Amino acid sequence: MVIVKRKELSLAERLYLPEVFRALSITFRAIFKKKVTRQYPEERLVTTAVTRGQPRLVLLDDNQHLACVSCGLCEIACPAYAITIDGAETERCIEREPKRFEIDMLRCILCGFCEEACPKDAIFMSDELELADFSRAALIYDIEKLKRPRAALQPRIDYFYGANDRWRKRSSTS
Amino acid sequence: MSGSTQTFEYARGGAGLGQTPPGPLDPSVARAPRDADDPLHGEHMQLNMGPQHPATHGVLRLKLELDGETMLKIEPEVGYLHRGKEKTCESLGWAKFFPHTDRLDYVQPLMNNVGYALALEQLAGIQVPERGQVIRVLLMELSRIAAHLIYLGTSAIDQGAVTMFFNTFKVREDIYTILDAYTGHRMNNTYVRIGGVFADVDPGVEALVRDFLARMPAEIDGFEALLSGNRIWFDRNRNVGVLSKEQALAWSLTGPNLRGSGVEFDLRKAQPYCGYEQYDFEIPIGTLGDCYDRYLVRIEEMRQSARIATQALERLSSSHGGEFLAEDRRYVLPPKDKVHTSMEELIFQFKIVTDLRLPAGEAYHAIESSKGELGFYVVSDGSSKPLRCHIRAPGLMNVQAIPPLAEGRLLSDMVALIGSLDFVMGEVDR
Repeated sequence: MVIVKRKELSLAERLYLPEVFRALSITFRAIFKKKVTRQYPEERLVTTAVTRGQPRLVLLDDNQHLACVSCGLCEIACPAYAITIDGAETERCIEREPKRFEIDMLRCILCGFCEEACPKDAIFMSDELELADFSRAALIYDIEKLKRPRAALQPRIDYFYGANDRWRKRSSTS
Repeated sequence: MSGSTQTFEYARGGAGLGQTPPGPLDPSVARAPRDADDPLHGEHMQLNMGPQHPATHGVLRLKLELDGETMLKIEPEVGYLHRGKEKTCESLGWAKFFPHTDRLDYVQPLMNNVGYALALEQLAGIQVPERGQVIRVLLMELSRIAAHLIYLGTSAIDQGAVTMFFNTFKVREDIYTILDAYTGHRMNNTYVRIGGVFADVDPGVEALVRDFLARMPAEIDGFEALLSGNRIWFDRNRNVGVLSKEQALAWSLTGPNLRGSGVEFDLRKAQPYCGYEQYDFEIPIGTLGDCYDRYLVRIEEMRQSARIATQALERLSSSHGGEFLAEDRRYVLPPKDKVHTSMEELIFQFKIVTDLRLPAGEAYHAIESSKGELGFYVVSDGSSKPLRCHIRAPGLMNVQAIPPLAEGRLLSDMVALIGSLDFVMGEVDR
């Protein structure tokens, strides 16, 4: 326990005017310090793999098909109800793919629950942060707007696996 | 759930708690001298302060009855930011509520995350690994400093000290840079999960935190140099809003507001959680309980938080590679690489995401947030959705203390009082 000290004003402080100049000297010293303001559109924040930007869908190595098998886990995990998936059958060996995969970016809160829930490494948070358009409809992103080659999301994937390397000590059920 | 019948008595106006909150203070102390020649004296005026007033720190509306500049009656009206968070929790389910806790007291999202997680862990009986607890403590103490900096900046700018606002927000920006590097977001972090934290923190950030914590005491000295001996700050805060020990307890105030009145109560010491008993820190308390004491208590608390954070950082750097998330397949998602290779883990993944169930029962866990005792009370009937989630928001109690403290004082004192009681409407209205 420490009792905070209530200080009493000294004569100089009560006279007020000398204190004004002392305070101004503190304030004006800031002029010569390094500027902390960022000129936003020119100077951007540095994004890293840790940055949780907007979710994006991962393309397979053929750069045509999504890794998604439309299991719907991200749709269920989403606390903002931003994801809509319609699944369809496909001739490929994975048998199911999304016919429609939409993320309502106006609803998305960038929490990253979809990325955690996905059992197929099909959705990851990118480092894309900026979001602006002229209509609400344009901000409901479909597969065309969401898909990214795996290489573009690789830093985030590496970070995700690296930072989630756990439960190593005991042998698991596998 | 037994005993729920008694709790309603207080709400009906009966003396359920056996104690009625005391009225305004002794008039000789609290009332400002009334000028008999004041031409405004005599006719009472109704004035709405807020809900869009910048000094009310959010959407608080105060219905004031004024006689000249003296406030006769104050009626705070809350609810303008009510989003039904408790009900949302009951309809969303256990894990999906985490992003919503961020938005309760939005100046300290990590603290809300941890409070909610601790309540769920108590209900489920999960033990958080050591490293997970250390990460939580470090992030919570950084959040506490950030929240107190907002208190300092906003209450100073409301009283005319614009420089303070920029100085404190500059330091706060450093904290947000650290939180960004640790959690991926500056605000609304959603970093805590049941059983620990989302991911292990990057060891590369530790240098940034160490640098910040080394600078912090000098920064606080700078704030004190501008405010503590400032005559305007002195005149507007000393003997304003004097909250006695008894009053503070009767109005169930907690946190710096209670400690400012000289009650030594801090949940980090009284009911340690997250391993706070292993850290060396002091609880600052005030003597008189006015706005100035609450200011001094918060300043000292920032110093103590920096102390705790320094100790937590040492523990963090000595526990690299430790577990940060409890290994419990009933509540915690298995690591992704195992999900890809093992059928059982894949089943657990689906089970936890779609249908996370907590055992039937109830749990209440409170943490010492920057505003006071932030408690989460959760009731489970064993299904995947909470039966009840109640949030004990310290801010609501702080708002309650406005009328007895402001009655009989000048209107301009209200600004100092609101600033020093320090509440965030996102939490008050929920």
